[in-house]
Amino acid sequence: MGVTCVCQVPVAEGKSVQQTVDMLQKKLEQLGAIKQGNFWVDCETYHATGNATGQPSKLLYVMHNSETPLSCMALFEGGPGLAADANFDVLMVKLKSHFQNAKGHKVESRGTRYRYCDFLVKIGTVAMSSSARGISVEVEYCACVIPGDCWNLMKEFMQSFLGSNTPELPAAFTNKAEGLYSPVDCMDTMSQYLELFSKVRKQQVLPGSGVR
Amino acid sequence: MEAPPVTVMPVTGGTINMMEYLLQGSVLDQSLESLLHRLRGLCDNMEPESFADHELVYLLKGQQGNPFMLRARRSLIHPKAPWHLRYLGQPEVGDKSRHALVRNCVDVAASHSLPEFLNEMGFRMDHEFVVKGQVFRKGVMKVVVSKLLRVLASGNTENTEPMSLSYLVELSVLAPAGQDTVSEDMRSFAEQLKPLVHLEKIDPKRLM
Repeated sequence: MGVTCVCQVPVAEGKSVQQTVDMLQKKLEQLGAIKQGNFWVDCETYHATGNATGQPSKLLYVMHNSETPLSCMALFEGGPGLAADANFDVLMVKLKSHFQNAKGHKVESRGTRYRYCDFLVKIGTVAMSSSARGISVEVEYCACVIPGDCWNLMKEFMQSFLGSNTPELPAAFTNKAEGLYSPVDCMDTMSQYLELFSKVRKQQVLPGSGVR
Repeated sequence: MEAPPVTVMPVTGGTINMMEYLLQGSVLDQSLESLLHRLRGLCDNMEPESFADHELVYLLKGQQGNPFMLRARRSLIHPKAPWHLRYLGQPEVGDKSRHALVRNCVDVAASHSLPEFLNEMGFRMDHEFVVKGQVFRKGVMKVVVSKLLRVLASGNTENTEPMSLSYLVELSVLAPAGQDTVSEDMRSFAEQLKPLVHLEKIDPKRLM
């Protein structure tokens, strides 16, 4: 578990989602990265029922990451998060009369996992209801747990294959009480994915992006 | 750095339902030592584990029906250990001849943000208490002998007072649904603890 940065890469001009993913993978392979299995990250949305007034009901996001297959992360947008074991999903089934699963809102990112020295790079196709909506890139620097100590190195590495698509320092790190020098945890990665998935949900469907 | 070997799909529906089989009884403080002595003899050969836990009971009031109850427990001896969240279903009504109380049970290990997270979900803490005691094992059976302590000031687990002059004794097994031989084994073990303690099936509804 190291410092992770998740960003969205726009689809290249005139190309499809799959073609852009292929281009990124090729760049990584030319750099010398080795393919090391697949990954997936998914996010399900639950809304609280039983709101007497007309308040918009709170949205609870339950996420899973193949990097931590026995865990389940639950978050409220901008609110507290919880890391729990896989039985949390069973508990959500028991809570179905209080929290309804918005089945059409499930977003997931699936793709290939690459390893380049101390970096793990995951390039995924973000899909909602089987239609590809965007591309996510996750870069993890496994040798460090303090963002302040390795951000510059990560940025330099990302520039070598993302070019102008390299992201800025994620808000997940700057928003913390102790700032950039507090150690990371799995919730930082998941809140970055949640931000990306929310952006993708709001985007319009890309033309010609049906996953066959 | 290798990809984790487990490629499991997340559990959404169709789960393995775990059931808790339970028998309960109590002993007065003065009889505790003889009970512990007998348990040390009957149970698996290992040092009985002492524990001190703080349990908070949360309720979620819905639009209709009974409030949903969740129990959140943390260890006072191992403060860094994860919280244990537990859901217990309604006792199964059925076979009157079944010797133990059977109810659906879901156990979840959770991080330390659990109380804040439950509040955000809409749960409100109903009551809390401290439990201190020992755990014994015999195969899959677990025997817990514990004292319940009332928390005098909310959140302060140093200041407690015992709720009674006795210790609660619980014999339980966690097994997948459908294994009815479990209650037979529990009953024969309970026989061996008589007359020190009488373990019986106590229906929580009868106490309300």
